[in-house]
Amino acid sequence: MADAAAHSHADHHDEPGFFTRWFMSTNHKDIGILYIVVSATLGLVAVAFSMFMRLELMHPGVQFLTVDGEANGHLWNVLITGHGILMMFFVVIPALFGGFGNYFMPLMIGAPDMAFPRLNNLSFWLFVAGATMAILSILVPGGDGLTGSGVGWVLYAPLSTTESGMSMDFAIFAVHLSGASSILGAINMITTFMNMRAPGMTLHKVPLFAWSIMVTAFMILLALPVLAGAVTMLLTDRNFGTTFFDPSGGGDPILYQHLLWFFGHPEVYIVIVPGFGIISHVVSTFSRKPIFGYLPMVYAMIAIGAIGFVVWAHHMYTVGMSITQQSYFMLATMVIAVPTGVKIFSWIATMWGGSVEFKTPMLWALGFLFLFTIGGVTGIVLSQAAIDRTYHDTYYVVAHFHYVMSIGAAFAIFAGVYYWIGKMSGRQYPEWAGKLHFWMMFVGVNVTFFPQHFLGRQGMPRRYMDYPVQFSLWNEVSSYGAFLSGLSFLFFFWIVFYTLRYGQRVTEPAYWGPQPDPTLEWTLSNPPPAHTFETLPTPDMWDHSGARH
Amino acid sequence: MPDGSGSGAGAGAPAPDPFRRADPPILTLTLWPNRSLTRAGGTWLMALLAAGLAAPLVALAGSRAAWGLLPFLVAALAALYLALRRNQRDGRLREELKLWHDLITVERREPQGRVRRWHANPFWVQVRIRDDARIERYLTLQGNGREIELGAFLSPWERESLYRDLRAALARLRSGLD
Repeated sequence: MADAAAHSHADHHDEPGFFTRWFMSTNHKDIGILYIVVSATLGLVAVAFSMFMRLELMHPGVQFLTVDGEANGHLWNVLITGHGILMMFFVVIPALFGGFGNYFMPLMIGAPDMAFPRLNNLSFWLFVAGATMAILSILVPGGDGLTGSGVGWVLYAPLSTTESGMSMDFAIFAVHLSGASSILGAINMITTFMNMRAPGMTLHKVPLFAWSIMVTAFMILLALPVLAGAVTMLLTDRNFGTTFFDPSGGGDPILYQHLLWFFGHPEVYIVIVPGFGIISHVVSTFSRKPIFGYLPMVYAMIAIGAIGFVVWAHHMYTVGMSITQQSYFMLATMVIAVPTGVKIFSWIATMWGGSVEFKTPMLWALGFLFLFTIGGVTGIVLSQAAIDRTYHDTYYVVAHFHYVMSIGAAFAIFAGVYYWIGKMSGRQYPEWAGKLHFWMMFVGVNVTFFPQHFLGRQGMPRRYMDYPVQFSLWNEVSSYGAFLSGLSFLFFFWIVFYTLRYGQRVTEPAYWGPQPDPTLEWTLSNPPPAHTFETLPTPDMWDHSGARH
Repeated sequence: MPDGSGSGAGAGAPAPDPFRRADPPILTLTLWPNRSLTRAGGTWLMALLAAGLAAPLVALAGSRAAWGLLPFLVAALAALYLALRRNQRDGRLREELKLWHDLITVERREPQGRVRRWHANPFWVQVRIRDDARIERYLTLQGNGREIELGAFLSPWERESLYRDLRAALARLRSGLD
């Protein structure tokens, strides 16, 4: 009951300056855009690393990674570590969870903003600080008398506890900051989702993308504290003489692997589940049909999230677990195929009999389905402890996880960008360019990663910069594919630049045409005003179930 | 007068406190912001998180590593608890409107404990609704030298119906129907 004259909303009329808007932002949409921009920039660095690695692997022998003319494995190890840490912690999760999650989850549930806007700002800057530490860890003195740490993104002890130089400590702090950022972000998302849904929007009516963000946030809250504890123990082992992971002091290096993968396996679902949400909306929109099996889709995500926490040791079949343990982890892993299958078949059933339109976002969604299914099937192969004996640490595993979560997640990000860029910027990309980007990348990643299955079956181990000449054919093919994907990524930056600068303006709020089940963001202008849903949306704006039945 | 906003309806004689009036009002309206999490829902959420976070601790019970994990797990649990409580408290906002034949009062209790009050003679009160640049269906009450906003946290259609209810109640009161 503020006096109307001293109305608290009055200050909203002032347009914030550039610095205030982007550097001190508490607006969920601006913070979402910041997340996407920063993660895309870091993505460029991480992709550049992989291009360099593929260049080195194109031919047998060591051509580029030399110090004083001598091949140097440390340089290679730094590249794989940097690529992994950046992609896992600073590119994919910030783009999907921090970026699209921040921008669209509050819109879809009709909340005016996140529950804690300033905490949201803190999450973003902790992420930037963590990313800075990660980049710095590559540049400061590290192992083997060179810069950077070469221990792999998993930071396995004892390698990570004995790596010299401060680079390793920088990497640990980078992971710490990223974890703190994610945990605070997750708490914000959970509070927003649970407490600020529009009146009447019960949990069984929430749009699937908002649900996917909720499931992801809960997994982050369960998994990241374990990682934080594990890397803190690494830190004290390195610097303060503790022996958590050192057998000479009664510790256990395998324990680190258990802790890491207790976080690490949920982490891959944290990466991919928001993608599930985006794909559901895209498939429904471009099939002109409501999503098939909404409730099974929700519970499949929850089931994937829950089962994701009890399968971690399938990453470590070769560490010497008992047969009973291995059998359990094998069966539990295969069970994940059930909820995943529910999702895949529901997406296909959504398209079935629909009026499918192959616009760019739909192409990316279909690409996602294709890649995710291939990666899922090789996952079933790898889940078998006996078969994993031969595939463990080969390129088969590299091919598997890139298919299922890396390029799977990347395709979900691109589907989201093309689906929503008109909403976020008010300008639409040129359709031909989006399609060209898709085909370049789709062909590129398949040429890159499919031959890696063959290399893995031939026995080529991962994490090496050189190989015998027998592996050269598929390595060369794989490298050409990587260069094509790399080019497509550069082309993507041009598309975004062109769209923001010269793209056609879109004024129609629901610019993809009539949707069977439009979510709340399609009731807003392009781009939405700085403050949305300051007054609550009404059920008729988002509940279309009456019209459906 | 708690807010010292001048003399009220009963100017002249020492005015009785309008907010302690005993006789039943003709109309009582209580407004509060939307919160979608119920108490049971909050308990379930915290229980699920606690159970999930306990899983790795149970496996490591008795080992040194459990102590390495414990602070982070407890911190995550505490952080979500505090966040939910804070958000719930931010929503503990109440606006209570009471109407008598010769008095209308609005009492707003804010989450931080601040209480703001307004009262006026209903015969001179004006209820207004307009579309502000930012706020759709902006509802205000004017009287006793002040204009106050009502139900800023409600949805536009709720304010619209509140507006109609208030207009009707005041009209009935002024025409002597109540």
